[in-house]
Amino acid sequence: MRINKTFLYGTATAATLALTATACGGSGSGGSASGGAWDKNATVNIGSLYEPQNLDNTAGGGQGVTEALNGNVYEGLFKLTDEGKVEKLLAEDYKVGDDGLTYTFTLRDGVKFHSGKQLTSQDVKYSLEKVIADDSQSARKSNLAVIKDIATPDARTVKVTLSKKSISFVYNLSYVWVINSQAKNLKTTEDGTGPYTLAKWTRGSALSLDRFPGYWGDAANNKRVVFHYYKDATALNNALLTNAVDVVTSEQSPDALDQFKNNQNYKVTDGNSTTKLLLAFNDKAKPFTDVKVRQAVSSAIDDKKLLESVWGGYGKLIGSMVPPSDPWYEDLTKVNAYDPARAKTLLAEAGYGKGFSFTLDTPNYDPHPTAATFIKSELAKVGITVRINTITPDEWYTKVYKNHDFTATLQEHVNDRDLVWYGNPDFYWGYDDKQVTQWVEQAEEASTTAEQTELLKKVNRKTAEDAASDWLYLYPQIVVASSKLSGYPVNGLNSQFHAYDIKKKG
Amino acid sequence: MNRADVLGPVRPEKAPPSGRRSRRSATLVTGCVLAGLIALLALVSLFWLPYPADDTSGGRLAGPGDGHLLGTDKLGRDLFTQVMTGSRIAVEAGLGSVIVAAVLGVTLGVLAAFAQGWLDDTLAAFLDILIAFPTLLLAMLIVAARSATLGSAVLAIGLAQSAVVARLVRVLVKRVLAQDYITAARTSGTSWPRTVAGHVLPNIWPTLVVNLALQFGLAVLAEAGLSYLGLGAPPPNASWGRMLQEAQATFTTAPAGALAPGILLVLLVIGVNLIADGLRDTLDPATRGRRA
Repeated sequence: MRINKTFLYGTATAATLALTATACGGSGSGGSASGGAWDKNATVNIGSLYEPQNLDNTAGGGQGVTEALNGNVYEGLFKLTDEGKVEKLLAEDYKVGDDGLTYTFTLRDGVKFHSGKQLTSQDVKYSLEKVIADDSQSARKSNLAVIKDIATPDARTVKVTLSKKSISFVYNLSYVWVINSQAKNLKTTEDGTGPYTLAKWTRGSALSLDRFPGYWGDAANNKRVVFHYYKDATALNNALLTNAVDVVTSEQSPDALDQFKNNQNYKVTDGNSTTKLLLAFNDKAKPFTDVKVRQAVSSAIDDKKLLESVWGGYGKLIGSMVPPSDPWYEDLTKVNAYDPARAKTLLAEAGYGKGFSFTLDTPNYDPHPTAATFIKSELAKVGITVRINTITPDEWYTKVYKNHDFTATLQEHVNDRDLVWYGNPDFYWGYDDKQVTQWVEQAEEASTTAEQTELLKKVNRKTAEDAASDWLYLYPQIVVASSKLSGYPVNGLNSQFHAYDIKKKG
Repeated sequence: MNRADVLGPVRPEKAPPSGRRSRRSATLVTGCVLAGLIALLALVSLFWLPYPADDTSGGRLAGPGDGHLLGTDKLGRDLFTQVMTGSRIAVEAGLGSVIVAAVLGVTLGVLAAFAQGWLDDTLAAFLDILIAFPTLLLAMLIVAARSATLGSAVLAIGLAQSAVVARLVRVLVKRVLAQDYITAARTSGTSWPRTVAGHVLPNIWPTLVVNLALQFGLAVLAEAGLSYLGLGAPPPNASWGRMLQEAQATFTTAPAGALAPGILLVLLVIGVNLIADGLRDTLDPATRGRRA
């Protein structure tokens, strides 16, 4: 399992752990609609490794729920595009009060749920309350905890009052599904407003969506979408090779790509991702309480070589928690860059001239064991001995995430805009800097995005200089598709996979 | 006393045809050569390796040749070095598991053989349940309680196998105990421990040794399976199972990473099984008589 927000609310499940892939960010779109007629009634087969646990995104369904249903079956007041922009969707318009605390949303007219019921402000209220309810396991629960009151003056108006300013509020709303307030059994059925309805979900195998004839917006470019679920990447690639699927949402190894790259029947795209591989120190455990030790370890590891080893020519180096698609990105790869001589000097200054040894809690699935092996070898060169302790995802959750019982660990963090976790001194890595905490709080209450961006840039620089963690690299987001396909998302933003724009040639 | 007493009715011992004898030794010799080869690799790895184990200077997925006999892995580590280290881990896993299985299994089996009535039934049922319990699940439990190390894997495999050994020993010992010479020994005042050591164990060891040899092969496979799942020897130890797992994604582009540990694994297991087969034919007069 990767660290995503869903996971952080205790919904870690075995099925999301294996070779999880999600990402988000950037730019580009899945191949332009090149010549040839496309079939308006085509069936698009999508290959994925992430089957949902259930169909409710407030009940720990895993990232597969987002992938299959977000934007396809369910829609929010806003949507996050594949380019990372927030656009109005079910909200036709909205106004923010002068105090920055009241948001008034006007709903789009003529929107119908799949069950036929008209969308009203009551449904929006219900949906928001569902996300912030006590038993909600939603990814956005804590972000939306600022909601103080939800009023519905009329059927098309929703007025939300916040307890304090939250500049990310509209962005966070793009993750809140608007659900029919009368719907029952959302774990196996659905009632959304999206361009597709759920046709059939065969557990362990496939989930199919059919075009919804009563959709309020432009109809989907295909008649049916089927998500086929696979347990391992090799089977998934074979499915693509045998045309059992038309597109693979996210490739997990660069080595399988050659068979597609040199084949004109396939297109390989290298999109932007927000998934970072972290060597996370426990900043509250010796010797990593010492900034110099953390800087030394960061300087002793050749991230470039590790990235090359794991991903061939793909992926990017980042010197901090912030990927290029976040607004507060800055190239910080030169901070605590690879320099073994500097590492040795820093160690000597910190009083560890003769080195030290520590245990690295390593999740037992790729790429962690490979990264751990590499780190052990690199740190040996500056006199640090690493003991690799492989643990299961469940153990990681209990031992590292909940109990903070570790010295250092490896973990993938998938979400965009997750730098703010360094402002929480109780987070598992225990980074505790009063100034940073304050900046993060101020940024959330900022009046303008420019102000927010400026503050978070400061946080970014400070955490990078402090080597709060060692950010090893940024994953690539590789989508492979049949050349018959166009219009698919290439950035896999926060696990989303909007299928309605996909065109398939006959 | 006749060793044939051990397993059922005494058969007249026929001299095997001469061709049969040579084929039998051929099995044993082939087995010894194959397993010996791996054992030699393991032994040499204790003193010498082509490259230091954590040397990552080789370049990503270099092909065989050019200073690396089998090429390198993703991190640029020499594959032959890893295969050698892996052979040591395989042999250690096999031996370790078999020792655990033998000590526990024989003790439990002898005790079960002496038990009477409901205790006997209970023990037999317990062993059956233990055998039915998947090794993998047992290993996961042990790994969860301890941590993922070679020791944990060996303990799990040894425990699972001890049930198989115990069940076999129980049956063998029961048969021996029914023999007249045991009654004679007891009548002449020999204590139970002495009877077991002096009369029972010597009569069951040929069958036992053959079974343990088979268990060795199974243990090597089980350890590879556990390491493949990340439950065996932790990285950077180059267990064959882990190597197979790591090479899986690159099998089409750099097959040596999967072929080398795969082939050695097969050779070792075949070798050990041939040894078991040869030993059985040589040591066990009952089957010798039947199969001749």
